[in-house]
Amino acid sequence: MGALIATPALAALAMLGLAGQAGAWSLEEAAAPYKGVTIRTIGEALPPLEAMKKLAPEFEKQTGITVEIEMYEHSEAVSKVMLDLNSKRGRYDFIIQPHRELGKFVTNGHVEPVETFMASATLRDPEFKPEEQLYQGLWKEISWYEGKPYGFPFTALTMYEWYRSDLLNDPKEKEGFKAKYGYELGPAQDWKQYRDIAEWFTRPDQGLYGTALQGKRHEALWYEWLNFLYSYGGDMLEVKAGSECGPVVVNSPQAIAATEYYKSLMAFSPPDTLNYFWDDVMALMQQGKVAELIMWNDATYAVAVDENASSVVGKMGFDLVPQGEGGKVAQVEGWTYLVPTSSKNKEAAYLFIQWMMDYDQQLNQHLNGGATARPDVYASAEVQKLPYSQASMGSNEVAKPKPTIPQSSEMTDILVRELSSYLADEKTAKEALDQAAKEISELLGSCAPMKYPVQ
Amino acid sequence: MMTAVNPSPRGTFLLDRGASLPLLLPATLLVLVFLVGPFYYMIYTAMTDLSFANPDQKGAFVGFDNFRKLVREDSIFWGSFWLTIRFVVASVAVEFVLGFGLALLIWRFIERQRLLTTLLLVPMMLAPVAVGLIWRLLLQGDFGMVTYYLRQFGILSQASAVFSSPALVMPTVIAIDVWQWTPFVTLIILAGLMSMPRSPFEAATMDGAGPWRQFVDILLPLLRPIIALVLLLRGIDAFKEFDKVFIMTGGGPGTVSELLSIYAYRVNFKNWNLGYGAAVSFMVYLVVLILCSVFYKAVYWKTAGERA
Repeated sequence: MGALIATPALAALAMLGLAGQAGAWSLEEAAAPYKGVTIRTIGEALPPLEAMKKLAPEFEKQTGITVEIEMYEHSEAVSKVMLDLNSKRGRYDFIIQPHRELGKFVTNGHVEPVETFMASATLRDPEFKPEEQLYQGLWKEISWYEGKPYGFPFTALTMYEWYRSDLLNDPKEKEGFKAKYGYELGPAQDWKQYRDIAEWFTRPDQGLYGTALQGKRHEALWYEWLNFLYSYGGDMLEVKAGSECGPVVVNSPQAIAATEYYKSLMAFSPPDTLNYFWDDVMALMQQGKVAELIMWNDATYAVAVDENASSVVGKMGFDLVPQGEGGKVAQVEGWTYLVPTSSKNKEAAYLFIQWMMDYDQQLNQHLNGGATARPDVYASAEVQKLPYSQASMGSNEVAKPKPTIPQSSEMTDILVRELSSYLADEKTAKEALDQAAKEISELLGSCAPMKYPVQ
Repeated sequence: MMTAVNPSPRGTFLLDRGASLPLLLPATLLVLVFLVGPFYYMIYTAMTDLSFANPDQKGAFVGFDNFRKLVREDSIFWGSFWLTIRFVVASVAVEFVLGFGLALLIWRFIERQRLLTTLLLVPMMLAPVAVGLIWRLLLQGDFGMVTYYLRQFGILSQASAVFSSPALVMPTVIAIDVWQWTPFVTLIILAGLMSMPRSPFEAATMDGAGPWRQFVDILLPLLRPIIALVLLLRGIDAFKEFDKVFIMTGGGPGTVSELLSIYAYRVNFKNWNLGYGAAVSFMVYLVVLILCSVFYKAVYWKTAGERA
C-alpha cells in the first residue's frame, strides 16, 4: 500500500504517547469520572461484533461503564449512522463503520480526530502505541483521512481465494484434470487456472459448482468485482490515496477485460447467481457445494473452523487472489471505530475503543471471527494455527486502497447498478463501464476527467 | 327509511360558542405537523442542492434545476417511471378481475361467507416485508420450495432460478402482489354486493331480463362507486410499492425491477442526495395525484351525468 500519511502526524502521535508515560496509568482510574455512564455503539451483525459483545462485560466490570451494542445488516448499519450524525442526536457514543464512508464523515465534521483523546494523559494508555502496534498501511487506509487519524481499525478486511483442498488434492481429480488441461491441479495462481478449475468442478448433477459469484445488485457485487479489476491492472480512479480525486479510469481496457472475465465465470456458478450476496455464497461453501471462490476473511471462520455451522471444516485451503496484469493484489475494506462529534460520552467511548485495541482483546476477537490490524496478534501461535492466517496476512501486505472521498457511496451505487445491468444482459461490459465512467466523472466534477472518453 | 338528521340544540350551542375549535385542534395540529408541514418542506428541499454526503452541497437554493435534470436528463428515472406504470396496470388489472370473480362466486354460491372472508384476510394481514421474505425463501434458487416444484413440473429449467432470470422477475413480482392483494379486492366488492338492494334484480327478473343483462345493467352500475374506490386504493398502493420488491430483488438484476419508489430510496438513502431525492419523491406524488384526479373524475362524472 502506498504511503498515505504525512510523517509529522505519526511523529506527533508518538510524542503524545511518550508524554503519557510520565505517570502510572490504570483503566479504572481513567474511567472513574465516567462510572455509571452508558455508551452506545452500532455495527454490522457479524462475528467480530458478536465477539466484541462477549468481551464488553469485562470492560464494564473494570470501569462501571455500561456498553450497549446495536447490530444491523450492513446497509442498515450505515444508513442509521448517517441519520444520527446528520440529525446531531448523539444516539451513538462511538460508531463502527466501513471506511469507504470516512470522507463523508470527516468533510462534514461528523467525527472527532483521535488526537483529541490521545493528547490527554488521563485518557491515553501509555502502553497503547498504534504507530508501532498496528499495520501502518492498514491503519492509514482504514482510519485516516487526508493525513489525519480519526479512529482505529475494528476489522481489517481483505478478500482472498478459498478452495476445497480435499477436492484439489484428490488423486483421481488430479489425474483427470491433468489429462484435460495439461498441468497439475492446485490452488489457482492466475485467472486461466481459476477458470479451468471452476469448469472442471462444475457438476450440477452432483450438486457441485466450480465457483459462486456474488451477482446480486448489492455492494457485495462491487467488492467482489474489485478483486478482478485490481488483478487485471485496472482501477476506478487514477489516484494514490483513497482521499484523493483524480481521472476516471473505470472504463479502461483492463477494466473491461476484467469485467468480461468476471461474467464468464457465471457459467460455473449455481443458477441463482444474480440473487447471491456474501451470505449466500458463504452458505454454499459451508454446504460443500462450491470448489473455489473469492471471499472475505471475516467469513472464513464460519466456514473453515466452526464445526456447528460448516460441513467443510478441515477441507478448506486459502491463497491470495489469482494474479493478473496487476500483479498480486487484494482489495481492503475495513470497518473503523470512530467517535462522532455529537457523542455525549466521547471520553468513555475512547476508553472502550482503546481497551478493545489491546492485545488480549484483539487476540480474542480475531480467534472468534475477527480480522485484526495488529501484526503481533497474527504472530501468536494460536492465530498461526488458523488455516487462513497466511492468506489473510499475505493479502494485508498487498491490499490496495479504495476511494474514501465523500462521493464514494454514490460511486459505488453507480457501479453496482451498471455491473448488475451487465450481468443481466441489459448492456455490454463496455457500455456499462462507459456509463459508469460518465456518471462518476459528472459526480466528481473537474477533478475527475475521463481518461477514456466515451464516443 | 332514512330521516334527515338535524343538529341538536346542544350541538348548535357548542358550534355557536366556538367550542368546536378546541375539539378540532388536536387533529388539525397532527395533520399540519405530520402531513402539511413535511409536504411543503419536501417541495422546498426539492429546490435546493442539499446533500448529506457532499460537503459542498449545503442546501443552496437552485430553483427548478433538480426537476429540469430529472425530466430532461435522467434516463434511470424515466425507466423506473414506465416500469412502475406497467407494474400498476398489470397487477391492479389482474387483482381486479380475479377479485371480482371470486367475490361473485362467494356471493352467489357460498353459504359460510364469514369463515371464508376471514381466511381471505390472511395474505393481507401479513406485513409487506414479511411477504417479501417469505417469497424470497420460497423462490430461492438452491432450496426454495416453490422453485423445487417449478423444476419438478418442468416449468423452470434446472439451470435457472426465478430471481436470477431477468425475464421472470417482474411477472413474478406482479404474481406475488396479486397473491397478496386480490383478497382485498374480493372483500370490498363482496361487501358492496352484500349491501345491494334486492328489489331491482327482482323487478328485472319479472321483466324477463337474464343474468347477463342484470349483471351489465343493474349490478355494475350499482357497484360503480365501490369499483372506483377499490381501483383507486389499489392503484395508489401499487404505485408506492417498495417493501416487497426491495426485499426480494433490491431493484435488480440490473434495473429490471427498479420501481420508482426504489429509485427514490436509492437517491435519498443510499446516496444522501436529498435535494434531488425530494424532487423524485415530489414527482411520485404528482403522478399519483394526476392519476387519482383523472380516474376519480372519469368515474364520478359519469355517475353524476347519469343521475342528472
